[in-house]
Amino acid sequence: MSTTTLPLFRRAFFDSWRSTLGWAAGLAAATFLYLPLYPSIGGSAQMQDMIDALPAEMTKALNYDQIATGPGYTQATLYGLLGFLLMTIASVGWGAAAVGGDEESGQLELTLAHGVTRVQVVLERALSLAVRVVLLAALVFVLVRLLNDSAQLDIRPENLFGAAVLFAGLALLSGTAALCAGAVSGRKTYGLAAGAAVGVLGYVFNAVGRQSPDVEWLLNLSPYHWAYGNSPVANGADWAAAGWLWGISAALVALAAFAVDRRDVGA
Amino acid sequence: MPHAISTRSLTKKFGRREVLHGVDFAVETGSVFGVIGPNGAGKTTTMRCLLDIIRPTSGEVRVLGKDPRAGGPELRRRIGYLPGELFLEGRVTGRKLLAHYQAISGPVAPGRIDALAERLGLDLDRHTRKLSKGNKQKLGLVQAFMHDPELLVLDEPTSGLDPLVQQEFHAMVREAQHKGQTIFLSSHVLSEVQQTADTVAILRDGRIIAVESVSGLREGAVRHLRLSANGISAHDAGALLGAVPGVGLVEVLDSGSTVTLTATLEGDIQPLVRALGTLELKDLVLEEPDLEESVLKMYSSPQEAAK
Repeated sequence: MSTTTLPLFRRAFFDSWRSTLGWAAGLAAATFLYLPLYPSIGGSAQMQDMIDALPAEMTKALNYDQIATGPGYTQATLYGLLGFLLMTIASVGWGAAAVGGDEESGQLELTLAHGVTRVQVVLERALSLAVRVVLLAALVFVLVRLLNDSAQLDIRPENLFGAAVLFAGLALLSGTAALCAGAVSGRKTYGLAAGAAVGVLGYVFNAVGRQSPDVEWLLNLSPYHWAYGNSPVANGADWAAAGWLWGISAALVALAAFAVDRRDVGA
Repeated sequence: MPHAISTRSLTKKFGRREVLHGVDFAVETGSVFGVIGPNGAGKTTTMRCLLDIIRPTSGEVRVLGKDPRAGGPELRRRIGYLPGELFLEGRVTGRKLLAHYQAISGPVAPGRIDALAERLGLDLDRHTRKLSKGNKQKLGLVQAFMHDPELLVLDEPTSGLDPLVQQEFHAMVREAQHKGQTIFLSSHVLSEVQQTADTVAILRDGRIIAVESVSGLREGAVRHLRLSANGISAHDAGALLGAVPGVGLVEVLDSGSTVTLTATLEGDIQPLVRALGTLELKDLVLEEPDLEESVLKMYSSPQEAAK
């Protein structure tokens, strides 16, 4: 019997520390880039004038309509834009590599020839994905808390916590979609495509859906809108939305495990 | 004695393409069993079925007495597997990678990994993706052998290894057999398995076309013969040789004062030696039997092999 617990999780988690560290550095840079500028940009009357001069459709698409408050600014720039982008790319990359990429590179075969079950492989690697995403979200949470006073953001900690849970859940949904498509197909590319589709379409449906009541139904299809529709940094989390994001992710992982368990590997 | 591996009517289809059409064979516990066949014959597919990496379309597989799928992780801990194409891309050292595989396979004796690595001349502290093909193969061999499994399934184990390391590998196989382990290995050429295997199965187009002991193959194999003799005409010498059972393809190379002939011999040597006793021989070369040649014949003509 194995002497270490969760051997596959440990390998997936620790072997990717360079990548985790890289994305952490990117997110930290994004945080330090945006937030300290708030007092001079977001809160200034000049900036407000500029935003008022922009087409209303554009401010809505970018979620810049509430940029004049600290929480709104943090929501729109960090959680809604660059942070969302970085987290989604990281999560999709990890998710697509977890099973599909590993199979495509020929390494999954050797792992499965050992004393592990396929379900265990999928679950432990999904856990590794989730832990890395949560770590990144926690890092951003801590950094925003650190900058809260100096950047005059005035964000309530409980709202920030809720936003972090949604931030992680949103990225994880793209990542588990990538993991699932990769696991079902055995191809990394399909995983990347599925993960990117969830991320990009979610963003686009939100941006378009906010434009007019006629296309508002698009918002219901947008995980991005589920997470950020009520601006959690400013107004607190919609916990039902968090439940959906994490719940669907769990279902996608279960589907991936089910699929891998029933098919030939590397054929 | 129960078989370490047995298959009955094992078939495998990928979509509409059937790659194994009813493979039957059995590997005795404690033996070294080689399966050879040209590329695409189904060797790798057969091996993957044993490890439950690929599920058979129909037929029965028993590995160490268990169905591979039902046997699950417990069964696979008792097996050491070397895939035919080994990909090790991680940015980890060989030592860390082996520690990982150790965590998901049977118990490894302390010092066993280092001993194996030293034997094969493998540096465990280098990053795996910087290793040459041969060194990756060594790493693959270490992970297959390290937990002294009851059964070793090795897909083209010597590919990429230099001749000295191949010798070391053959010694490892013999030692494993000595300890009672069963070894199932594959190659596309016979020479790689004939040194270690007791029994050889020949797989062609998804079918086993022959299962022979290596000594049996040797008996049935063709030897090449060349001789020079004085005091006899080329014609008489040819007739003399031609009369010996099993001799064929007699060819006269030189018919001066010294006659030189070549021929092939299948079967017993004794009648040939008796016939040659009457000659005034200047030179005689009777080569090792060319098993490769007889096997290649089987690759191309199934009827021949079926006899």
